[in-house]
Amino acid sequence: MKEISSNKKRMQINKIIIHLLLILGAIITIIPFVWMILTSFKTLGESTIIPPTIFPKQMQWENYKEAMRTLPYGKFYFNTIVYTMLTTIGQIVFCSMAGYAFARIDFKGKNFIFVLILSVLMVPGQIFLIPQFMIMKKLGLLNSITALVLPGLFSAYGTFLMRQFYMGIPKELEEAARLDGCNHFTIFWKIMTPLVKPGIAALAITACLYCWNSLMWPLIVNTSIDKMTLSAGLSTLSGQHGTNFPVAMAGTVLAVWPMIVLFAIFQKHFVEGMASTGSKS
Amino acid sequence: MKIKRSLSILLVVMMLITVVAGCSKNDAGNSTDGKVTLTFGLWDKYQEPIMRELADMYEAKNENIKIDIQLTPYGQYWTKLETAATGEVLPDIFWINGPNIVKYAANDMLVPLDELVESNNIDLSVYPEGLIDLYTVEGKLYGIPKDWDLTALWYNKKLFDEKGVEYPNENWTWDDMVEAARKLTDKEKGIYGIASRPDTQEGIYDTIPQAGGYIISEDRKTSGYDTKEALEGTKIWIDLLEEGLSPTLEEQADTNAIELFKGEKVAMVYAASWNVPVFMENEIIKDHIDLTVMPLIKERAATIHGLSNAIAANSKHKDEAWDFVKFLGSKEANEVWAKSGAVIPAHKEVLDIWESSYPDINLKAFVDELDYAVMYPVSMNTSKWNDVETEYIKQMWNRGITVEEGLKKIAELMNEALTKEQ
Repeated sequence: MKEISSNKKRMQINKIIIHLLLILGAIITIIPFVWMILTSFKTLGESTIIPPTIFPKQMQWENYKEAMRTLPYGKFYFNTIVYTMLTTIGQIVFCSMAGYAFARIDFKGKNFIFVLILSVLMVPGQIFLIPQFMIMKKLGLLNSITALVLPGLFSAYGTFLMRQFYMGIPKELEEAARLDGCNHFTIFWKIMTPLVKPGIAALAITACLYCWNSLMWPLIVNTSIDKMTLSAGLSTLSGQHGTNFPVAMAGTVLAVWPMIVLFAIFQKHFVEGMASTGSKS
Repeated sequence: MKIKRSLSILLVVMMLITVVAGCSKNDAGNSTDGKVTLTFGLWDKYQEPIMRELADMYEAKNENIKIDIQLTPYGQYWTKLETAATGEVLPDIFWINGPNIVKYAANDMLVPLDELVESNNIDLSVYPEGLIDLYTVEGKLYGIPKDWDLTALWYNKKLFDEKGVEYPNENWTWDDMVEAARKLTDKEKGIYGIASRPDTQEGIYDTIPQAGGYIISEDRKTSGYDTKEALEGTKIWIDLLEEGLSPTLEEQADTNAIELFKGEKVAMVYAASWNVPVFMENEIIKDHIDLTVMPLIKERAATIHGLSNAIAANSKHKDEAWDFVKFLGSKEANEVWAKSGAVIPAHKEVLDIWESSYPDINLKAFVDELDYAVMYPVSMNTSKWNDVETEYIKQMWNRGITVEEGLKKIAELMNEALTKEQ
């Protein structure tokens, strides 16, 4: 009896310690967000005061009005959503097909091509900037949503991720399907893909985040403010010498809330996808 | 089946949107109604409304011109410009600064303006000489000055009053300033007399010429960092640190000197004219700050920098672009800048209007410094040795190396970079 209760106690203590640590971690991650929201309600002077005030003396809703007045948020949302959706759909379609091929089909030069694709991951993205820009220029696509979307439709990371998921599916399933007369496409489409839904969810989320955050490419390929995405448009709020931080923070709050909502809805998939990125055999 | 159908619908929608988006792209400046669209590249959100105002003024007078302002934040501006230059799709007109002018001019990315200036009888003497020099590369002018900036000594009157110290004036020497800083420094309250800034234009680019030295030789071939004047002009800043009159580099890394001044933790700071709106929009300090010319070391000097409007060589509408650049350089356009108070307008005849844009502070100090302004140091690949400066300034301010060692190192690496440019 005594032993069980002491065991229980120990478990409880462990639980408390784990929760305390988790709470601490949560606070550390949440503070920047809270600070962003608090700053967005301060006056310019109050935002730079030393020592800083925590709560704004008076709520400055004008900062939000100012952010919305100076930037065309409607267009930004539209562009960002179109960009994000097209890129995400493209990556899901192309990466899952490529991933399936690399995981399940034997063809000549498979490993070589796969290594080639992986090597893309090892090169910093900035290196592609000028070549991609030149391609878009040659295609006459500069300053369009198409130019924004095109380079992101396929991703090496997504292919790698999906390949790992397809490799995790037992061979018996494939053999059974083949006996029933399935070809590669039906196996891919009807048997395998429904089984890798967590992988697709993870890919979708990373693709969404990537689009929402990407700055350099949207900024470089599109010059007019009507074709900018949220992140690119938002960056114009920072001045060379002085930034109106409260307005910039208000603008940022307006830009990040859709992602926070999306994360809240899909967080289960998000964590699951991340945890199973490695091997799943 | 259901999934398949919905997926194909999605794909069709996706293709449609792509096609539609592709069609709506701008057609290289020629819109259907015969209007010419000039693109204008700039980087400052706070100056954009004023630029828009000027564009509207111009469009009202020239009905066949439309001006499309393209704003890119400073952090990405040069990357974007370089990419655009490679693809020969630079904006028709764009802002350019000192460190980049030689690179763009020498690589034939810009339209030389001398003949246009001459045939249009434009008087360049209304602009500060140092700026015309800055934008003249190999004897040719590549930009019409838009604004300029100099550094001055700013001070917080409240902190001076608290310690009963007399305000700085235009006759101050460096020693007067140090003396005042001693009285103003209050360790208990965490207040410092002055910020010793690890900076160039707001620091050694001013004090080195004031000590009689130079940063780069006139032929842009040798560094001036290994002279004894440079040593003096740099060491005086380090002495402030050693005496504890300035926040350390570490403290300034957390909160830079401008923020410390805004937070009333330093009583005096060397700050350039672009800080005027930054300080004057801050409701906490704006009523009790003022400025004066930088104190005298050995001689009077101040490094001047400013932006220019340049025309891209790849522009398809050079004549229209020049006409707009000419308008931007006019007294009329400069008056708009002067009234805004955002920057110091390049045109000398409107300076009195600018001085009264913030009537409570002594903006005249900047205009006074114009008399002894020296050109901002640049060369073909300015950024190469700017990186060297940044690196060793940091080490000297951190006191990881002595000033002598640091300057020797800068001179050595800078000379190396300059030799490679030849």
